[in-house]
Amino acid sequence: MADFLEGAFVASVLAGMIRMATPILLAALGELIAERAGVLNLSVEGAMLTGALTGFLVAHGSGSLWLGTLSAVLAGAALGVFVGLLAAQLRVDQILVGLALNLLAVGGTSFAYRLAFKDVGVKNPSTVATFEPLKIPWLSEIPVVGEVLFSQHLLTYAALLLVPATYWFLYRTKSGLELRGIGDSPRAVDMRGVDIARRQVLAVTFGGAMAGLGGAFLTLAASGIFVPEMSAGRGWIAIALVMFGNWRPQWILFGALFFGLIDSVQLSLQAVGVKLAHEFLLALPYLLTIVALVLNRGRSQAPLMLGIPYHREAR
Amino acid sequence: MRSAETLLRVEGITKRFPQALANDGISFALRRGEILCLLGENGAGKSTLAEILCGACRPDAGTIHLDGTPRVFASPKDAIAVGIGMVHQHFALVPTLSAAENVAIGTRSSKTLLDIGPITRRLEELCAQYEIELDLHARISQLSVGEQQWVEILKALHGGIRLLLLDEPTAALTPQEVSKLFANLGKMRDSGLAIICITHKLDEVMDISDRVMVLRSGKVVGLVETAATSREELARLMVGRDVVLRIENRRPPPGAKLLDVTGISVLNDEGRRAVRGVSFAIRRGEILGVAGVSGNGQKELFDAMVGARPAVEGEIRLDGEDLTNRSPAYFAERGMGGIPDDRIHQGLVMDFRVDENLILGRHRHRPFAERSLLRWKMIAGFAHGLIRDYEIVPPSGASVARVLSGGNLQKVVVARELSQTPKCLIVSQPTRGLDVAATEYVHRRLLQERDRGAAILLMSEDLGEIVNLATRIAVLFRGEIVGEMAAQGASIEEIGLLMAGVRR
Amino acid sequence: MKPWSVERRQEVGPLPQILAILLALCGAFAVSAALIAVAGASVSRAAAAAWLGAFGDARAIAETLLQATPILFTGLGVTLAFRARLFNIGAEGQLIAGAMGAVWVCMLVGGGVPPAVLIPLVLLAALVCGGLWGAIPGVLKARYDANEIIVTVMLNFVIFFLLAYLLSGPWRDPASFYNQTPRLPAAARFPELIAETRLHWGFVLALIAAFLVHVFLWRTALGYELRAVGINALAARYKGIRVARVTIVTMAASGAISGLAGAAEVPGLHQRLVLDVSAGFGFTGIIVAMLGRLHPLGVIPAAILFGASVTGTSAMQVAVGVPVAINQAIQAIILIFLLVSDALVRYRIRRIGARG
Repeated sequence: MADFLEGAFVASVLAGMIRMATPILLAALGELIAERAGVLNLSVEGAMLTGALTGFLVAHGSGSLWLGTLSAVLAGAALGVFVGLLAAQLRVDQILVGLALNLLAVGGTSFAYRLAFKDVGVKNPSTVATFEPLKIPWLSEIPVVGEVLFSQHLLTYAALLLVPATYWFLYRTKSGLELRGIGDSPRAVDMRGVDIARRQVLAVTFGGAMAGLGGAFLTLAASGIFVPEMSAGRGWIAIALVMFGNWRPQWILFGALFFGLIDSVQLSLQAVGVKLAHEFLLALPYLLTIVALVLNRGRSQAPLMLGIPYHREAR
Repeated sequence: MRSAETLLRVEGITKRFPQALANDGISFALRRGEILCLLGENGAGKSTLAEILCGACRPDAGTIHLDGTPRVFASPKDAIAVGIGMVHQHFALVPTLSAAENVAIGTRSSKTLLDIGPITRRLEELCAQYEIELDLHARISQLSVGEQQWVEILKALHGGIRLLLLDEPTAALTPQEVSKLFANLGKMRDSGLAIICITHKLDEVMDISDRVMVLRSGKVVGLVETAATSREELARLMVGRDVVLRIENRRPPPGAKLLDVTGISVLNDEGRRAVRGVSFAIRRGEILGVAGVSGNGQKELFDAMVGARPAVEGEIRLDGEDLTNRSPAYFAERGMGGIPDDRIHQGLVMDFRVDENLILGRHRHRPFAERSLLRWKMIAGFAHGLIRDYEIVPPSGASVARVLSGGNLQKVVVARELSQTPKCLIVSQPTRGLDVAATEYVHRRLLQERDRGAAILLMSEDLGEIVNLATRIAVLFRGEIVGEMAAQGASIEEIGLLMAGVRR
Repeated sequence: MKPWSVERRQEVGPLPQILAILLALCGAFAVSAALIAVAGASVSRAAAAAWLGAFGDARAIAETLLQATPILFTGLGVTLAFRARLFNIGAEGQLIAGAMGAVWVCMLVGGGVPPAVLIPLVLLAALVCGGLWGAIPGVLKARYDANEIIVTVMLNFVIFFLLAYLLSGPWRDPASFYNQTPRLPAAARFPELIAETRLHWGFVLALIAAFLVHVFLWRTALGYELRAVGINALAARYKGIRVARVTIVTMAASGAISGLAGAAEVPGLHQRLVLDVSAGFGFTGIIVAMLGRLHPLGVIPAAILFGASVTGTSAMQVAVGVPVAINQAIQAIILIFLLVSDALVRYRIRRIGARG
């Protein structure tokens, strides 16, 4: 029990927190932009998986992790464009589109993976050499803090920087103002001459790209392998994060760290041999998501027209 | 001051929608420094024409020339670019943003960074010019309807425009605010702006316009100098026949007190008191008309009176029984009927059939259901009868509500409520968006109910309607009743002052 | 001016809707053929194998209908919920809950009880457990306005982990190598429908359920309220319908029907509860419900189609080596095409110049 309070243990848990928060933070910030434009994009899980697989396949085939990461982003973006076009141009029911694309991604990635590695056995999955954490010189030497904050992957630093970046975009730029306007009243913004469909497609594309990037983190930084359905609901948690972060980047960061912490603690407890039914710990983030949803009601700052397709001629 | 220059020339504009031919070969010209009123009843095609002129709608045929150059508007962007500004009937404002921010949206700017400063300054100049007081940094949702109207206008004026379109700009204004608006429109006209003002109110047309264009069924049926015409002539052009402008209303003396409301307060969705200590009583065979601009507590009062919203204080008694805070079903059971102001979102289930809508609320009662099973034969028969009595078109209970016109939809709501022979009827904006025929019909039915002995609470923004129908008139301002008087001989001016919050 | 314009229809009649479905299926099959080609197989051989595998003979048809059974149940459950505008994504979890309830009853009651007693008990347990698991998101939505999409997705994971725990611990069959329950009493097995096939009476039960759901929606007062709330909850509330009650009851009923799928699968068929019990039936149920236009009777052919997809792609894998995971991909593609063609069919092109 004394182990817990040792600096090394705490450091490893906190470092794990930030590392595990990375993919959901990326996906959640992307989803935030999409939802601020009024599009409820439920295909985040699918985009993550697609990014994970694409990044893995390209890295495996080309030997370049960066190329893999780039293709993961593009794959996620492609999914985003598709959702955006369906939602903003054809005005299809957004919930169904998201679900359909999720299914497509789950089935599609399993299909593609099995095709690509037809002859490889289950016991011996193909692997990829992952990104190494980027240790910031001198700062990473600081005890505890150094390991937690300054020895993370580049993608993690990028994810953390994305928080103030999205804040700046939403609240300090004209495009961000217009995006927020679209989410609350697309008609008002349309009458000012802004192309609503185009903005929405761009927003959802960004969301997909970020989810894809989050997926790339799973295969290219965190694990080095691809397992069908490996995202295990993280895309859904990202969507929930936007909700109880009340559509504000800073609160989304807080929520992502919280989930990262749970994940990290759960892993560490297993590692030091604490005897708790580990399924309970695994289920904890999902239960807590529900609890957070219930606690946060009534204070919603949701975009007013979230999920509602915009028709100019609506009478 | 009218110049001889033609600013806008419109020829042969035609637009067809699935339900109707909205604009049929419309042609007219507009000069600089002129106010043209576009007059017509609801459904005549006025809003469609405005939408075409502001770029929100593509015409099927016809041309638009601005300063001699032909123009095609693919989107509102194009219209804004050539100096056309539009003030919409339903404000096109983002409620969560401020006035300045709303104006900032869409303005051309090379900078990525948001800079509200210049916009705010320009808006302050305009406010000073038109003697308007406005908090440019408050969220739109926190402004009063009148203030929002001004933001909508300033938004249109901001970029420097040559043509201003206003769609029913006075719908939500008190008489005093209307005067102020018209004075300012006059100023704008005098400075060379061309203005098209859409309205269905004859008095306003006579007040403000230089010329009038009357639309009926999508066609131009008259284009005259205002000075050379009269209200009666315009009314005749609007409707196509002689119209009685005031309905015949012999007011029989009312009976015993039926509805007794004492000191009720009701919270709005944000938790603030929207209705504050309101008391009134209505007798059998009496209509209490409550005048007031939307947003002064009407919605919350309606909700409380039908049981859809709790009253945090006070009592509602119907026929001696305390109904306060009971369920909507209980209110209905005890004889309270309600005709809400939003028939599409509150009154009806649009994807349901007409017969399904007609039994909404009574679907568990005999004879429509027996032991939780619906009895479709009885429902169909019932619907058939109501459709015939109320002349609902199309005359089939199986039609989906969505295909009905506004007037027929309102008939369905009215039929449903009145068929229960309510003791008391709460009615809100019953003729909003209806043409003259449908309006007359609804008014007749309400008077019929009154004569039958019902007590009716009529909330309306239309002072004419209130004065025509009510036995007594009260005014609702900021959640309080600020004045009560007999309808006979009531002064519109006095009502207007009360609506604006001027206390005597 | 262009000679034509695109405008929205006021209502979409049955003919365009059927057209939409046909268009969707054609498009989906075209894409699937492309996928098969990518997998390196001959499309014609694959298609032939698939057809034979699904409908080739009585045995194949029986197997197809068997595969359709759980999907029909979940599709019906989803239809009920979606009709009330409750996006129940939790059919997976509700199926598992039903299966767990069924298994628990079997373990409790033991093998000495005749089928005439055991099977109704099993069905009841599945209904109750599925219903309770479905009621949870219903209550959270009714009382706290908690988004049911997120809650049901989260609960899917939670019950999956619960199942994993049970199968690796208290319910584990000590005699088996895998994490699964011991073989259930033979009395719990649903009687077979067609001799020498695996098809059992669960299929007939599903058909009856479809009929009952249809009657419920259009002939009962509660069904009327459900439909009203699904279209316009505000108007429903004004006219006295208790939306909270409808929400909870609908979610419970939806969960209960999906729970029956669990009963059909475990005691009815496989006789053991394994981790993979739901195998995507919940999500497939959603697609099938959409394909059936949220109409209980429309869900039947849709479910059979998807049952055929399972047996067909299985046969395809054996015959030409296409990975069976293509099945999920095809299902999703059908849904996407359906959504797109639905959207397209909502508009029509009209020639201008026609006077009227």
